[in-house]
Amino acid sequence: MKKIVTYLLVLFLAIGFLTGCQKAAEDKADIYKAPLLIAQPISDAAPLCGAIKGTMLSGKTYIIGCDIVVNKGDTLFLQPGVRINVATNAAIIVKGTFVSNGTQTMPNWITVNAVVKNDTPGADPATDPAFSGKWKGLYADTSCMLMVLKYTHLEFAGAALGSTTSPLIANTSNTSSFSVLFQNYNGSFVMEDSWTYGGVDDPVRISSGNIALFRNTMEKGGLNGGDGFNVKGGTVGDMAYNLFVGNATSGQKVSNKGQPIGAPTSNVIMYNSTFINCGYRQIQTGRGANINFEEGARGKFYNNLAVNCKFGYRVVKTPVSDTANLFYGNNYQYADSLLVANQFFPVGYITRPQTTDLPLPSAYLPANYSLGTAYNGTAAVQSGNPLFINYPLPVTGGIKLRDIATVGNFNFRLQASSPCIGKGYTGFNLSPLQKVAIDPVFGVSYYPQPGVDVGCFQFNGSGNNH
Amino acid sequence: MFHQTYASFFSKISFFIFLSLFSIQINAQSIKGFVTDVDTKEPLTGATLAVKGSTQKSLVRLDGSFVLKSLQPGSYEITVTNIGYAAVTQTVSVAAHTPVVLISLQKDTRSLGAVTMLSSGKTDDKSARGLEKRADVVKNILSQKTIELLPDVTVANAVQRMSGVTIQRTSSGEGRYAIIRGMDQRYNNTLVNGIKIPSPDNKYRYVPLDIFPSDLLERLEVIKSLTPAMEADATGGAMNLVMKSAPDKFLLNANIAGGYSTLFSDRDFSSFSTAAINKQSPAEINGNSYAANANNDFQKNSLLFSAKKKPVNTTLGLTVGDRFLNKRLGVLVGVSYQNIYRGSNSAFFLPNAQPTTAPGLDNIPVFSDIYKREYSTQTSRVGIHNKIDYILNARNKISLYNLYLKTNEYQSRYSVDSVLAIQRTGPGSGNVQITNRSRWQQQSIYNATLQGDHMLSNLFKLNWSAVYSNAVFALPDMADYAVDHAVFTDPSTGAVTTTQHITQKMSRIWSHNTDQDLSGYLNMTYAPKIANKTTEISFGGLIRYKTRDNYDNRYTLDPVLTGGAPQAFTDIQSAQYFFKPDQGKGTVTATTFNNYNFKEDIASGYAQVKRAITAKLEVLAGVRVENTQQKYVTVMPANIDAKEGTINYTDILPSVNFKYAVNDKQNIRLSYFKSISRPSFFEIVPQQELDENFNVKGNPYIKHSRADNIDLRYELFPGAADQFLIGAFYKNIANPIELYVVSAGGPSNQQILPQNPKNNATNYGLEMVITKYFGSFGVSANYTYTKSKITTDKLYYYYDNGQKNKSVQQSRSLQGQADNIGNISLLYKNQKLGLDVQLAYVYTGERIALVSPIYNSDYKQAPYAQLDFSLEKKIVKHFSVYAKINNLTNAPAKLYIDQTNTFRSGKDILPDQDNDSKILVQKDIYKVTYLAGFRYKF
Repeated sequence: MKKIVTYLLVLFLAIGFLTGCQKAAEDKADIYKAPLLIAQPISDAAPLCGAIKGTMLSGKTYIIGCDIVVNKGDTLFLQPGVRINVATNAAIIVKGTFVSNGTQTMPNWITVNAVVKNDTPGADPATDPAFSGKWKGLYADTSCMLMVLKYTHLEFAGAALGSTTSPLIANTSNTSSFSVLFQNYNGSFVMEDSWTYGGVDDPVRISSGNIALFRNTMEKGGLNGGDGFNVKGGTVGDMAYNLFVGNATSGQKVSNKGQPIGAPTSNVIMYNSTFINCGYRQIQTGRGANINFEEGARGKFYNNLAVNCKFGYRVVKTPVSDTANLFYGNNYQYADSLLVANQFFPVGYITRPQTTDLPLPSAYLPANYSLGTAYNGTAAVQSGNPLFINYPLPVTGGIKLRDIATVGNFNFRLQASSPCIGKGYTGFNLSPLQKVAIDPVFGVSYYPQPGVDVGCFQFNGSGNNH
Repeated sequence: MFHQTYASFFSKISFFIFLSLFSIQINAQSIKGFVTDVDTKEPLTGATLAVKGSTQKSLVRLDGSFVLKSLQPGSYEITVTNIGYAAVTQTVSVAAHTPVVLISLQKDTRSLGAVTMLSSGKTDDKSARGLEKRADVVKNILSQKTIELLPDVTVANAVQRMSGVTIQRTSSGEGRYAIIRGMDQRYNNTLVNGIKIPSPDNKYRYVPLDIFPSDLLERLEVIKSLTPAMEADATGGAMNLVMKSAPDKFLLNANIAGGYSTLFSDRDFSSFSTAAINKQSPAEINGNSYAANANNDFQKNSLLFSAKKKPVNTTLGLTVGDRFLNKRLGVLVGVSYQNIYRGSNSAFFLPNAQPTTAPGLDNIPVFSDIYKREYSTQTSRVGIHNKIDYILNARNKISLYNLYLKTNEYQSRYSVDSVLAIQRTGPGSGNVQITNRSRWQQQSIYNATLQGDHMLSNLFKLNWSAVYSNAVFALPDMADYAVDHAVFTDPSTGAVTTTQHITQKMSRIWSHNTDQDLSGYLNMTYAPKIANKTTEISFGGLIRYKTRDNYDNRYTLDPVLTGGAPQAFTDIQSAQYFFKPDQGKGTVTATTFNNYNFKEDIASGYAQVKRAITAKLEVLAGVRVENTQQKYVTVMPANIDAKEGTINYTDILPSVNFKYAVNDKQNIRLSYFKSISRPSFFEIVPQQELDENFNVKGNPYIKHSRADNIDLRYELFPGAADQFLIGAFYKNIANPIELYVVSAGGPSNQQILPQNPKNNATNYGLEMVITKYFGSFGVSANYTYTKSKITTDKLYYYYDNGQKNKSVQQSRSLQGQADNIGNISLLYKNQKLGLDVQLAYVYTGERIALVSPIYNSDYKQAPYAQLDFSLEKKIVKHFSVYAKINNLTNAPAKLYIDQTNTFRSGKDILPDQDNDSKILVQKDIYKVTYLAGFRYKF
């Protein structure tokens, strides 16, 4: 027996050594890559208005003076390190292609000039500039085939489109107030490593499309309603490693509502996102969540981490989601209070407790729990603190859960002793749908695989880069 | 068409008195007989018979018959008198048998030179039958006397008694629009004295018929085949409201009545004050760039509801008329006032816009909300009209007609919405939204028509009309706010807990429109004898300039988040609202396609010939040309497509009417006419209403409809007010206008637009009318069978490895068309007692109430039958009492979706379900209404 152990030990060591050697043996090449050719450089000399195409140049600050339109067949390209200050009431309308190619070191900004954020916990939403719609938003029409946001900050959007803008974009009204809209099931929308801050309605509305939404951070999304990523009928793709703090309603929501003729059924694979304090500004009683699947939508959600959200993971029964093709597990929840714990499995919906969920549902649900009924979640209150590097749990100091809606100085990465570590599911049947082509500029940079640690920050440093 | 009406005025230049004794049958001690008009052979119901030397008097009954009883054999001098007729005295011998006498009376003409006045004797059933018989076209008529006796106080409700006509009701159960032979209101037009009037409706061209108090009418005509002289936009038919005209001699009619609806025995009427309502929106007052203040610019007094216990309905009517200046000047003034409290209790289950699917299950309806609604509607109507005619001389007459109608509708709606999508675990648990709405709607129509009739020679007649009409609609500050909470019922203990009430959104709408017509009509008739037969050649035309202005402004106010959290609701005055960024500005709320100016110029001309081909066969044939020029301009800026546009077209519209007089009591008619239907302004202007599933939009590319119509009718007028009509019709409508879904402008862009389906719509049917009096009893019945077909695109949701949808074609009947409709009225008229009693039953078979964009999901109205009762009794000379009772059986109106009902049990149970094979989606209860009052007639 001892012999066998010894042999095995030697074998493991050998494998370890060989693996190490293999790592050392990996080719590391640094080959010159020519910069993207600049088509039609755009001048920053005067505020921009009307039809536009070409390239916005690194290091420059552009002013958008009134609605700009990227016509069908045209492209607006933002090099890394571009800042756009949008004037009050202007929109960016994309009928062609839009690419904001920011990088980790040179992110892009689409924002407004000289507005000071007020991220004091408990700031009054009525006066908070985050919700005051300083400009309209980034709106793709149904002809837009590609919209890419990489390392791009999108802030203070959500002014109502109004009469001069809404008729230029299909399926919008004068009062539409999304920060980003995409709506073409033949087209692709990529959002990677980007940030949204504030907004009035949904920060990102996808009416239909092929999507890849990875490693983004959304703060203060929506004023008194609005879902971080709000996906409607005919949308297929992946969401992972996103961080939501203080969203008005849900973080990631998928529905098949409004599915266009010929469009596929909404199908979104979700894993490893983190939701903090979501759902508190939704005014309708009984709504708000972190992840939400409804009306004919299918997909998967695993390895998510929800902390102090008003409602738990929500699978809706009226109209019912495609429950035969909806799979989930390894989702983590934490509650400061009984109110939150009592809605881990929100009353009136049909989210099925999984034995892989954390904390273990059987620890606080009654033995005869039937889906959607009320229960006493006392046993789950303050159980299983995820141990963020810098975030007080339970929240103390007279601060209400809804008062914290931005990342600020908090750090939602995991401590080494976090119970979230190693609890993720990485099985073969959980992988991204990969609906958008991989391209360092005009597509998805890469498809991240599910992470072993629950939430958007992996202990090994991968996942969300913010 | 009105030139024909006048033609008939002039044709009756003089009358003769004669009396004839047709046969004598001897029987014991009584005289029987009939009294008729010498000219029309119609019975003179109500004429008085007096026997000289006796106190015995008798009245002529409904069928024209009379009996004088208890007479000894001998010779009697009988005098027959009737208003408007010359008295006649006749000697009758009574021997062993009862003699049957036929007495004919002649109109008392009291001639003015060679001119004879139009008699006011045109108000009863018999004259209506005469008009139907003599008409060039297929038409049905309700006379003034019939209308008076109907259980109805508005034209909208009266019109449902007519053959082939059904009505669409408002949320309070009141009729509003007429569907003629299965053709909904879009395909019909409304005329006042033959002149088309504009509609105050905020969307459509058709005139809401509930704005007309029925006591202003002399008669109501539904014209079902058109001549070239008539405007062609009446594929279903034209409703012609012939208003009371100046009488021969002094006339004074008055009525007053009170009543109530038993709906308000069970619950209170909910009322609100309009005092604080501003007629103009903040953007109208301050300009579109003004950012409205959510708290200062929006009063909330109209959202304070108070209970009114058993409110009393009132109706008042007064008509005064006389003739002056040696009878040359006739004047009539009529006033009508109605103040009616009605309401309904409604249950409404809102199907989710998109059906659900599951493996093996396609296109299954799923519901998103259960609404319980209580409507309280106070309608106050004022109608004033005035007719002045002046007879210049025997050959020339001018008249001026003025009509002003105004309706104020004050409606509160209390609505409890159980939201099935949010936290619902079953009845008694889930999210509940309570909304309160106050809605003040004003509508008015003004019409002034100056007309002249001239006989230029014995063969050549001319008449003209100059018309100004104005229709106004206003919806000032319609306000609606919602409050929600959740309810949980503990399944084991039954204990109910309710969460805090949370303030939701508030909406405020200002909408108004005016529609103004300036029209000129000219008609000429030349009637020479050609080949020994009178040939009537008519030609003429009209010009109409229509201008429509439409204003619409919609605000959505959001509840302030108090301390960053949803706001607890205490009362509406304390609720705090704000506008989301820019959403209080007119540039967002009022700058829409729904703010537009629409001009429509119609120029049309016609030529027609009417000639007897044989002694029995008459033909009226000709052609009409109508040119339509439309231009709309919206407030949208120059960078927006379709912000303005012009549309024009010219229609050439032939028609031919054959009338074969089998004998003087029977006609056979055959007609063909071509008609059109113009899309509504609202449908042409590309306004849009956004929905998460579909955008409902206008379509400036919509084409007008053109229809071929064939009518065949047999008519029998056996005498009296009796009639028997049977007819068939066929219509083929090219470019029908239907709303359905299309993908437009991009793969994800699904819109519901008014469109022209590729295939023509067809509509055919059979119509039957029978009226028969047996002495004092009468039965009046009509039945219409209609079958129509139209094919449009629908969305079909199915499961094929996930939910998918596709566009499929589905055929159905036209919206509003019921296969079987009918009326039966039982009448009892006892002249002696001065008693009129009527029991009226109206039946509308199953019909599509609302066309759904989804396959197999149209809302169908279940067969609806209503029983009404009315009574009038003379108490003393000139005075009578009357009573009207509506909806005796408290018939509920129900709408269904024809699909297997899986909602009768289980967690998704819906209330009030009563059928396994169809799903109830709406049920309205109106209850019984009573009205009783006095009538004075001089």
